[in-house]
Amino acid sequence: MTAAKLGSKLTFENVAKRYGAFTALEPVNLVIEAGEFFALLGPSGSGKSTLLGMAAGFVPPSQGRILVEGKDISRVPPERRNIGMVFQNYSLFPFLNVFRNVAFPLEMRRVPKNEIAERVNRMLSMVRLSHLADRLPSQLSGGQQQRVALARAAVYDPSVLLMDEPLGALDKNLREEMQDEIKQFHAKIGATIIYVTHDQHEAAAMADRTAVLNQGMVMQCGPQSQLYEAPANAFVAGFLGEANILRVAEVATEGYAARVKSVEGIELTAARRTANGASLVACIRPENVVVSKTPLQNANLFEGTVVNVVHAGGNIRYRVQVNGSCCFIARTPTRREHEKHQQGERVFVGFDPEDTLLIPE
Amino acid sequence: MRPDTHPGSLMARIGNSALLVYAVLVLAFLMLPLAIIVPMSFSDQPYLTFPPSGWTWHWYEEVRNQPRWLTAAWNSVRIGVPVALLSVVFGTLAALAVTRSGSGWSKPFSLLVLAPMMLPHVIIAIGLYPTIVSLGLAGSYLAIVIGHTVVGIPFVFVTVSAALKNYPPTLDMAARTLGANGWKTFLRVTLPMTWPGIASGGLLAFATSFDELMLALFLTGIRTETLPRIIWDQLSFALTPTIAAAATLILLLTTLLLGIASLLGARRSRKGE
Repeated sequence: MTAAKLGSKLTFENVAKRYGAFTALEPVNLVIEAGEFFALLGPSGSGKSTLLGMAAGFVPPSQGRILVEGKDISRVPPERRNIGMVFQNYSLFPFLNVFRNVAFPLEMRRVPKNEIAERVNRMLSMVRLSHLADRLPSQLSGGQQQRVALARAAVYDPSVLLMDEPLGALDKNLREEMQDEIKQFHAKIGATIIYVTHDQHEAAAMADRTAVLNQGMVMQCGPQSQLYEAPANAFVAGFLGEANILRVAEVATEGYAARVKSVEGIELTAARRTANGASLVACIRPENVVVSKTPLQNANLFEGTVVNVVHAGGNIRYRVQVNGSCCFIARTPTRREHEKHQQGERVFVGFDPEDTLLIPE
Repeated sequence: MRPDTHPGSLMARIGNSALLVYAVLVLAFLMLPLAIIVPMSFSDQPYLTFPPSGWTWHWYEEVRNQPRWLTAAWNSVRIGVPVALLSVVFGTLAALAVTRSGSGWSKPFSLLVLAPMMLPHVIIAIGLYPTIVSLGLAGSYLAIVIGHTVVGIPFVFVTVSAALKNYPPTLDMAARTLGANGWKTFLRVTLPMTWPGIASGGLLAFATSFDELMLALFLTGIRTETLPRIIWDQLSFALTPTIAAAATLILLLTTLLLGIASLLGARRSRKGE
């Protein structure tokens, strides 16, 4: 591969994984475009690692096909897939120095010695580790080891680069630094990257598109803004950021709006939504909820008591109890001239129908 | 690790001293036979005496000059080396299978592989002997190699399993995605990571074969008799210090091998960090 080092398109076509009676992954259809940075986001046990293992060739699918540029690779063993993988524990070979680690995949491909040296050196300078080529992995920091792993997984121009929680073992500051590093790396080599994480912020910071998984199913797939603003269901709404979620007992359509009564007896007006069948929830993002001492103009307005106030970052987060069993969470940016509320204070909380989404549970 | 009492307290000091005395006594008990057999081999009397009244190298020359001892020594090596190699192959394969399978059968399987280590050799011998006879192998070189491999495999199994315990499975996965097939992954990654465990297991298997008497009594013939077997035979009619000299030589070799094995073990645990 000498021309443009663009990655390949990867397609999961109706793939599923069952272990006896247990279903690890329900049938999945996903198309990851060439050069795309794609995140698989979900809690542990959601099936995201199973999906990654299928792409790598370690988990044979129970059904369906995996295609690279339209070619079926479902039956190809891992070593002949030309797919790169970066692991959470780096998985560098401890007895080989940095240079030999990065050279390993090229040696396996019987690349001539002088070309190996050239390509390894180019890759090491790309991750700014040329000066540490003679070190053993144990003599490097976690971040440096992960950069070596990155170089090793990319030096042979794999068609797809898989990353399995690569920053999970790093502390928070280093993690953010490495996010930038990986983004820049992606821009430089133009590979297709599939990035597994349980951290929504990581997915948001890096991915072009994200697929949210839960209990072996793809809940929703799309750019981060879409997942946040139009979550497909209560799980996605709750997993990405915070959400006030009320289970709906009754719905009545009124023109462009819907009158909703929650199981707690809260009545509100929502944007109309014809979700048929499944039981519904009303979802309101905390930043769309306003707290005030005086009554507001919002169509959905409740009176309640502040039970909790948290100052975090640039935000104030209020928890307001409106009746025996229902709390609303509101988040407002801190501004000095804004009125502040104390715990125990009687307040009004309000939000608009267009910020009140009716989505399946 | 020290007991978690206050270091300066009287109780702690008494406890530590008691522990030291205990350790010295156990060591003394273990070393006592050696402290007797070695001086006996230099005795100037023509029978086994302790303490010796004078010193001589005579019995070592006796060992060197008697073709029966030399043949037996050569037999021990000729048996021990293939036993070590076979044990390494089967023991390593068994350890890999048990570590990687994750099947419910791996526990009972490990016990089965380890059983020859727990069972009295006489029981293994009684079981093996009729089998060997019915195969027409009685007294043959192959018979004793098979017998000793049975007791050698558990040693390799134990050391290699320990080495694999610290071996992250993602290392193999990494090698596979990087383009190494299963065999190359083993040669280029697994083997460099686990060879100290494999080698120390092999040395232990060799040492076991070299020292083993019970199976040798049942399975060796006149042409395959080993050093321990000769010592045993000699004990029953000629109690000369030649036996002590031969025993001392075996002791030296075994100690050397165990020393190497434990050095390899230390290397392994350092690497495992």
